[in-house]
Amino acid sequence: MNNGKLKIGIFELTGCAGDALLILDCEKELLDIFKAVDIQVFLMASSEVTDEKLDIALVEGSVSTEKEIEELKDIRERAEVVVAIGICATVGGIQARFTDPKEWENKYKEVYGDIEMTHTKAVPSKPIDAYITVDTYLPGCPIGKDQFLNLFTRVVKGNLPERYPRPVCVTCKYNENDCLLNKGIACLGPLTEDGCGSICPNHNVPCFGCWGPVEGANLTSEYHLLQEKGFDIEAIKKQMANYSGTKLVEFFKQLKKESK
Amino acid sequence: MKNENKVSTYENPFLPEPARIVRTYHLTEDVKFFQVRIADMEKALSFKYKIGQFAMISVLGAGEAPFSISSTPSRPGLLEFCIRKTGIVTEAIFRLKENDMIGIRGPYGNGFPVEQMRGNDILITMGGLGAAPLRSVLLYCLDNRDQFGRVILLHGAKKPSEMLLREEFLSLKQRQDLECHLSVDKDDTGNWTENTGVVTTLFPKIENLVPSSTYALVCGPPVMYKFVLKELLKLNIPKDQILMTLERRMKCGVGKCGHCAIDYIYTCLDGPVFTYWDVIHMRELI
Amino acid sequence: MKIVKLKKENLFPFLEEISKEADLWAPTKVESDRHKFQAIDDLDQIDIEYTRTILPPRKIILPPTINMFQASDKEYKEDFSHVSKKIIFGIHPCDLHGLLIMDNFFTHEFYDPYYMESRKNTLLLGHSCWPDENCLCKSTRTHIIKEGYDLFFSKIDDTYIVWIGSSKGDDLIRAKEDLFEEDISDKDIKKYTEWGDERDKAFQTEINFDSLRDLMELKYDDPLWKKVGNACLACGSCTNVCPTCNCYNIQDRPVLGENYSEIKRCWDACTLENYSEVAGGENFREKRSDRLKLWYTHKFQVYITEYGKPGCVGCGRCISTCPVDINVKTVGKSLDGEKVDSFWNRLDKEVTK
Repeated sequence: MNNGKLKIGIFELTGCAGDALLILDCEKELLDIFKAVDIQVFLMASSEVTDEKLDIALVEGSVSTEKEIEELKDIRERAEVVVAIGICATVGGIQARFTDPKEWENKYKEVYGDIEMTHTKAVPSKPIDAYITVDTYLPGCPIGKDQFLNLFTRVVKGNLPERYPRPVCVTCKYNENDCLLNKGIACLGPLTEDGCGSICPNHNVPCFGCWGPVEGANLTSEYHLLQEKGFDIEAIKKQMANYSGTKLVEFFKQLKKESK
Repeated sequence: MKNENKVSTYENPFLPEPARIVRTYHLTEDVKFFQVRIADMEKALSFKYKIGQFAMISVLGAGEAPFSISSTPSRPGLLEFCIRKTGIVTEAIFRLKENDMIGIRGPYGNGFPVEQMRGNDILITMGGLGAAPLRSVLLYCLDNRDQFGRVILLHGAKKPSEMLLREEFLSLKQRQDLECHLSVDKDDTGNWTENTGVVTTLFPKIENLVPSSTYALVCGPPVMYKFVLKELLKLNIPKDQILMTLERRMKCGVGKCGHCAIDYIYTCLDGPVFTYWDVIHMRELI
Repeated sequence: MKIVKLKKENLFPFLEEISKEADLWAPTKVESDRHKFQAIDDLDQIDIEYTRTILPPRKIILPPTINMFQASDKEYKEDFSHVSKKIIFGIHPCDLHGLLIMDNFFTHEFYDPYYMESRKNTLLLGHSCWPDENCLCKSTRTHIIKEGYDLFFSKIDDTYIVWIGSSKGDDLIRAKEDLFEEDISDKDIKKYTEWGDERDKAFQTEINFDSLRDLMELKYDDPLWKKVGNACLACGSCTNVCPTCNCYNIQDRPVLGENYSEIKRCWDACTLENYSEVAGGENFREKRSDRLKLWYTHKFQVYITEYGKPGCVGCGRCISTCPVDINVKTVGKSLDGEKVDSFWNRLDKEVTK
C-alpha cells in the first residue's frame, strides 16, 4: 500500500501499554490521525502486523528480554525515525529500578523462582536508548495527549518537535501554586520533566517524578534541601529511584561515596 | 469581551513574507546555498539591508531560525544564504527544492559599519561557515571597488571539499584588485594548487599593511578566532577595527524574546557584529 | 492631578458599573494563603487585602501561551485573540512599575503588537498596600507611583482617595459620577499623610540598589556566583514570577488535518537549562551560575543604565518563591558584603566540608 502517506508503527515492549492506550484515547483527533498517516503496526488497535519499511516508529515500554532486544534492533533498521514514548522507553520505568545486577537477580529469583524461561531470556530492564539510537523522546506516564499531538502533527509534516525539556515547576508556577517545597513537603517537581500540567501539585500532592528526570536537574541541591528539611534520606532516594529508571544511577553511586 | 478586530495600524515585526527558493545546491556535504526571492516583487526590491545583517527564515511546520545574508545589497532583488544542516529547522530547509516556499523577515542586526570602513583597507579572514556573512562584505567591496583601499581575503578550510564557495573564490583570484589567499589544512585530493596549512599560515603573504587604516573582519569556528586574533594584534590593528560576527540563539530578531542577551545588550539589535574591544569588554561574548 | 473620594460601600457598585464594558480582573484568594489575579464573575470573589499574587499581572496582558499567527505556504494570518477589553483592579504600586518597565521594553526599538495591543486595551486600577518582610519596593523606589495607572485607590479607613491618572480613568469615574465626592478635607489629607508615614516605617528590609550596579561588575567572578549556581534548581520560578521578565519562545505547531500551522508564543525563562542552546547543541550558558548572573545583571544593572531605575520593582515574589533562597534579597545583600543566612550558603558549607 503506497498512498504517499507516512508509514507509522506503534510498538509495545515491556510496560503497561498505557501510552498506546492514550493514543487510542485521542478520540476527537483519532480519525484525523488515521487519515493523516498509514498505520502499519499498532497491536493495541489491530492485530495486523507488517514488516515493511517505516517512516516513524513509536516505541513504548522498556527492554526486558533478549527477544525484545532483537525486536528493537529490527525496528531501528526498519524505521527512518524512532521515537521513545513513555518513561519506560525513555528512562526504563519502574521495572528498571533495580539497576544493580546482583539486586536484580535476587528480585528475579524472588518473583519467578527457578522456573526456566524457554522462549526468551529475561535481562535487566533498560530504556530503549541503551540498545539503539533514539531520534526524539516523549516522556510521560502515560504520555500527555497534548504533547503526543504536538509530536504527531510535527512528524507528519516531516519534522521532529523542538524538544525543550523543563521541570514541572514551570507549569506549576503558571498554575499559580504555592511551592510545596517551601511548605516543607518533599516535592520532586524541580527534578522531573514537565508535561503533566503539574497535576499533582495543583491538588497539593507533591510531584513524585513520574515523567522521569529532567535534563539538567540539580539532584545534589534538592537532595540536601530535603535532608535539611528533615526528610528520611533513604525514603527520598527510594522516591527518586521510583521513576528515574537507569538515568540517576551515577548520582546514587556518587551519594553512596559521599555518605561513606 | 472579545475584540475581533486588530486595532493596530503598526507593522507586525513578527510576520514573515512568503518567499520562493529560486536556486539551491550543495556547497559542501552539510552546507547548501539558497537563492531566495520575496514573492511580492515590490517588497523584494524594497528589502534594504546592510552587509553583515541577518534574516529570520521559517519553514512551515518546522520553525524559524536566524541566518546571515550572504548576498550583497549592491545586487538587490535576490537574497542568498549559505546554510549548514545542524537542527530541525535547517534539516527542513535542506529538504526544500527550487520553487518551494519559505517565510522570511528582516533584515535584523547592526551589520558592518560600512561608513567607517570606507576609504580603508579591508582584510577579511574567514573559515568554515564564516564565509556566509563575509561573502556579503567581499562582494560589496568588489562592487564598490573605488570606495575601498586594498581588499584582502584569507579563507581557510579543513580540506578542499569543505571549502565553502571554493569555485567562486578560486575564480576571484584572477582579479588584480583583490588579494585572494586560500588555504586548506590538508589536501586530500592531490590537485590543490593553493596554500596548505591552517588559515594563519596565510598571514605572512600580506605585505606592507598599514594597521591604522585597516579594518579586519573575522568570522569562523570558535577555535579559529583565538589564533587569528593573535595574528591581527601582532599586525597592530586597533582593537576597535577588528570586527567579528557572532552566533546566538534567537527567536525574534527584534530584541524581545531575550534569548540572545549578553550582559546589557541583545545580539540581534546591537550585534551580530562586534569589535574585538566589545569582546574583551563584555565577558560572555566568546 | 485630579483626586476624588469614594466611600468604601460604593466601591462594588462602581466596579459593577465599569465591568459592564470590559472583563474585570482582580486579586482573589485561593485556598487559605495564596492570591492570584482572576477574571471576576462575582465581585465577592475579590480579596483586596492581599500582599502579593503568585504571578504578576503581566500574565493578564500576555498569557503564558498565545497564538501569534496562522502560517501557510501562501499567507500569514495574524491572531490577536488574546486581546480584549480588560480592567485590572487592585494592582499594587510595584506591579504598576513592573508594567511600566514592560511597556518601555516592548516599545523599545521595535514595537511588539502582541503585548502593546493587549496593553492598550487594558485599564489599570491601582490599590494601596502594606508591606510584609519580603517587600523591597522602598529600596527600589517603587513603593509610590505617579504615572502608569488610570485610577489609583488609596484606602484610608472606610474611604478611598482616588487618584485619576488618565483621560480613560476620568471617563470611568464619569460613568458613575454620583458615587464619588469631589472635596477632600484637611482631615482626609492629614489621615493620608499619616498613613504614608506609618507605611514607610513598616518596611523591614532595605537594600542599597545604587551600589549594586557597580558591584555586579566588580564582583563578576565572586565565589557567590558559584554558590548560588550550586544550589539553583533551574526551575525557572524566579523568572516566571518576576513582574519585569519578558523572555519567550516561539513554536510552530501544525494543525492536524489542515495545511497550516499555528505559531505560538510561550513564556520562557533564562534560568532554564536549555535557554541559550543553539541548533547543533552548543549551549552558551550551560552553567547555572552563568544563567543566574544574566538574570541578576538584568535586575541590578541593565535597567539602571538604560532607564535610570533597577529592573527589580521590589515585589518580593522571588523571595517568597525560590525554595533554595536565591533571590534579590540574599543575592543583593551578599553582593553588598553582608553575610546572609540562606540555603545556598549552607549548601556550600555542606558540599565543601
